[in-house]
Amino acid sequence: MTSDTLHSNPDALGLSRRVLSGLRALNIVYGVGVGIMLIASLVAPDILFGAIGVRATGWETATLSMRGIMIVGIAGAFIAHRILTGLLSIVESVRVGDPFVIDNAAHLNAIAWWLLVAELLHLLVGALARLASTPEQPFDIGWSFSFTPWIAVLLLFVLARVFAYGARMREDIEGTV
Amino acid sequence: MAINVKLDDLLYARRMTLTELSEKVDITLANLSILKTGKARAVRFSTLEAICRALDCQPGDLLQFVEE
Repeated sequence: MTSDTLHSNPDALGLSRRVLSGLRALNIVYGVGVGIMLIASLVAPDILFGAIGVRATGWETATLSMRGIMIVGIAGAFIAHRILTGLLSIVESVRVGDPFVIDNAAHLNAIAWWLLVAELLHLLVGALARLASTPEQPFDIGWSFSFTPWIAVLLLFVLARVFAYGARMREDIEGTV
Repeated sequence: MAINVKLDDLLYARRMTLTELSEKVDITLANLSILKTGKARAVRFSTLEAICRALDCQPGDLLQFVEE
């Protein structure tokens, strides 16, 4: 990798900012959509569950689990919003030309925690889907376990520490006469 | 800060301005100002050497430990 490729490319930064902003907007739409589905599941369960092929005969395990998944979905949207906002702040600081600051280490650390919570919610969704599924009415949301996100969480925590150390070193260098 | 920089006193004693010192030691006025006001986090040996040479003093004349 040459030093040129390491230098921030204004086009790439602008694109990243636009992509992140777009994803954040889509995520808000997703969160609102799941929220509407949750309300519909309470107000008009027959219509909603009928549309997705579930026989809603009352407060049975399947419908309760699906409502649980919707609540987790809303929480997931909130987490994704926090992660994307943190990433946007980091990208913005790169654009301004001052990314090696303690604030960005804090952003990375917060992203790592939010990702950890998201993975725990992912496990919860898996458990709820398993609970909702019956031999008569199989419920498959394509859930699967993967180690990759857990490694990403670990990596983010390490990166946040490295970033914090680097920012402190930079502060020291800046204060050296 | 526990380390007191006595650059002001030395400059007064030598009848020298910070700008003149800056030109002599080839260190920016901004950096010398940081040092003078005690805002510096560290001082390079090369900086210390240049200032001591320009002001004809010892490092001990420039820095003073003060119990907080």
